[in-house]
Amino acid sequence: MSTKENSNKKPFSRRKFLRRSAFVVGGSIVAGYLGCTPTRRYLAQTMENLDFPSLVSSMKPDFWFQVMTDNTILFNSPKVEMGQGVITGLTMLAAEELEIPLDRIRVEHANTGSGIVDAMGTGGSNSTLSLYVPVREVAATMREMLKTAAADHWGVSIDNVHAENGEVSYGDKKMTYAEITAVTKKWKTPKKPKLKPESAFKYVGKEVKRIDLKEKVMGTALFTIDHERNGLLHAVSLECPYLNGSIKSIDVSEAAKMQDVVKVVQEDDLVAVVAINRYAAEMAVGKIKVEWIIPKAWQQQEIIDLVTVGKGKRVNVQHIGNAHSMVSKTDGKVFEQSYRTPIAAHAQMETYGSLAQVEKDEISVVIGSQAAGMIQGQVATAMGVSKSKVDVHIPFIGGGFGRKMLHNNAAKAARLSKIMGAPVKLIPTREQEFQNSVYRPNTHHVLKALLNEQGEVEAITHDQATPDMVFKELGGNVGLSLLGADWLSAGHGASILYNIKNRSTSIWNSVVPYPASIWRSVGIFPNTFAIESFMNDLAHHTQQDPLEMRLKLLKGGDELNQRMSKVLEKLKTQSAWTTKPKPGVGRGLAICNDRKTIAAAAIEVAIVEGQIKVLKVTEVVDCGKAINPAGIRQQVEGAIMMGISSCLYEEITIKDGKISASNYHEYPLATLNDVPEIEVVILENAPEPFGIGEPPLGPVAPAIAGAVLNLTGKSPRSLPIRLAAG
Amino acid sequence: MKIDFTVNKKPVSVDVDPNMPLLWVVRDELFLKATKYGCGKALCGACSLHVDGEVYRSCSMPVSYAAGKEVTTLEGLSTETQIHPIQQAWIEEEVPQCGYCQPGFMMAAAKLIQEIPNPTDEDIKSSISNICRCGTHPRIIKAIKRAAAIQQASKI
Repeated sequence: MSTKENSNKKPFSRRKFLRRSAFVVGGSIVAGYLGCTPTRRYLAQTMENLDFPSLVSSMKPDFWFQVMTDNTILFNSPKVEMGQGVITGLTMLAAEELEIPLDRIRVEHANTGSGIVDAMGTGGSNSTLSLYVPVREVAATMREMLKTAAADHWGVSIDNVHAENGEVSYGDKKMTYAEITAVTKKWKTPKKPKLKPESAFKYVGKEVKRIDLKEKVMGTALFTIDHERNGLLHAVSLECPYLNGSIKSIDVSEAAKMQDVVKVVQEDDLVAVVAINRYAAEMAVGKIKVEWIIPKAWQQQEIIDLVTVGKGKRVNVQHIGNAHSMVSKTDGKVFEQSYRTPIAAHAQMETYGSLAQVEKDEISVVIGSQAAGMIQGQVATAMGVSKSKVDVHIPFIGGGFGRKMLHNNAAKAARLSKIMGAPVKLIPTREQEFQNSVYRPNTHHVLKALLNEQGEVEAITHDQATPDMVFKELGGNVGLSLLGADWLSAGHGASILYNIKNRSTSIWNSVVPYPASIWRSVGIFPNTFAIESFMNDLAHHTQQDPLEMRLKLLKGGDELNQRMSKVLEKLKTQSAWTTKPKPGVGRGLAICNDRKTIAAAAIEVAIVEGQIKVLKVTEVVDCGKAINPAGIRQQVEGAIMMGISSCLYEEITIKDGKISASNYHEYPLATLNDVPEIEVVILENAPEPFGIGEPPLGPVAPAIAGAVLNLTGKSPRSLPIRLAAG
Repeated sequence: MKIDFTVNKKPVSVDVDPNMPLLWVVRDELFLKATKYGCGKALCGACSLHVDGEVYRSCSMPVSYAAGKEVTTLEGLSTETQIHPIQQAWIEEEVPQCGYCQPGFMMAAAKLIQEIPNPTDEDIKSSISNICRCGTHPRIIKAIKRAAAIQQASKI
């Protein structure tokens, strides 16, 4: 927690890094002790509050920063840009200590060859927090190295040597960083790089335009699909649309005969058309005649039933007081409701493809992925080479949201490249992206509250049924069998934060036939919908104002509760909560905590032609120290639109054993038509920067549902909200 | 089949299957990469470009249709000396996040402010049905109105 206070005491926070990262790396060590519930619960709560580790593999500054001959600095970012603005924030931090103007730092994603990709990948809204001190420490080290080299060059003491504006000076002597680099043969690494006090920051805290802005507007930003190689071939693979299906019989003769097709590859599980252009490859795949083995023709209701509280293994993750037995009373004072969230697709605009080139035993892969380090391992294993032979380059990513992790086709592309003896680009079709993907799992929640005579909450319990989002995908020793249920991701945000004496939360592990995975905000989305909708239901039931009721429940609580109260107080004034909504307008709110970022939204809705119309969203966020308020605002606005989309439209259903939606017409998203009036307020009630990519998504859906309850008297308890059914 | 047309005011000639979508022709035959593949079914608009001044979703337009016509992609929107009002406004409003859908949005928006020089929110909402997953929609609306203002100012 106290990275800030400690930051200047040690030369590097490497040791702290290793200690923190031992939590995950050392999973095999702790896993043996996880059998008993109290240990699991302790671990679940610890993980919930942990600053997620960054497993950056090198702290050596020359891996991170290179001084270029034009006196710019190249920054190899260990975190990748998928729209969330992370490279802008990290560059701002670096610029502070490098003493060089922001526009003189050029950023590239580190590739696995340059040694500093983050083995944890990019996600979980932890990038800026986990690197807040390390980036500045490495940058400060680099600056001190330049100063030391200049001092040695001039034969003077470093004491009166200054670095500013990309130059080092001593009296009237001056050298640019590039000039110093050109004449220095032996570099000395200083022991204690001093970080400047935050009061001296030039960029941090100011509104800075994202550094990838111009490229993305002028159309020069390169994504995976934009990469070229000499002799590049285009491939489209055959993918089974049925869950866990496989090929019964196949006839590729017609596909092989098509114009521009080079080869139809059939090797074990890999079937793909390789052609000299994308069109031919895609058309030819459509000509493959195939009969599928369908293990089971799953139907939607079966999938819903599989995910039900009471079914599967249960893990208790929160146990304060005696809530469980208290709500089991049957004397009529227990208020109980249940909620459901649907399966969802990531539906990011760029399908998750790759380009691979195998030359002798060296493999280079281009893939817009959140997990370069893990993909390096996947490809190495598939190709039977050591990881050092695989270089993974990450270009700009056309939206991640958790989709761009391990479920990818890089190994297939590498196999195709080896077979063809040429570089191969393998970009999934949109249909494959919808039907052969990973999904946010459907969830079921039961909440119970014991009310006393005054209608106050004495005890509360939350039971969440959810498939595992992450353990299956990560593999390794920390398996689901040991941990019981996925409290790390799917259960994230399941615990009750209100200052109620008796609180209990359990996660029930559901087993489903489709691949469940992480999706922006992981468990925060379903859990906030359930818990905060329950709070709105409870306020309605006890005839209290939902905002005042929450403030009452937070009273006397811990530091987090106090920050939540401040956010709610701000929301109250900013949204004019105490005024009466206009006729025909309903108003609702919700709040969440996602790894110490608090986000709360007040939302106004109306019903227009039988459809819910979101009119206005006021969202207050406290993500601690705001590095770039402009970037934060962008993330909050985006999360609001994604929240509206998920709340009103999005649902993946399963019919006859396959995902029903094949393209965007069957999985509609929010459009320009859905844009409400938006107001974003940023509070800074903590000294460190917490995440912002995911947290503001949490309160949107339950606040809309709360507004519908306020307007109609009926509470929507499953997503997407359908008025007729509600 | 040999097909001639112009792209961003330059004459080009390609020899491809006439049914090949214009999208893959501009991207992989002419190496203009701004136009993006999103859905392949004219649903998302990531591949939007102009043919003879009209907006088309190039993933679903056979290249033969472009024969003899003028194609403009995002790369051709600005001139060397003058940034297009849409792109200027997109920078000023800081619209993109991941950026993948933005070329299509900008091409649709460029046509919109040409047709409706002073569009209202409703005009914008009803004219452009492109899809964005990052949720840049609120800024797209602001940027289109700003671009319209820039366009007006430059005409005076």
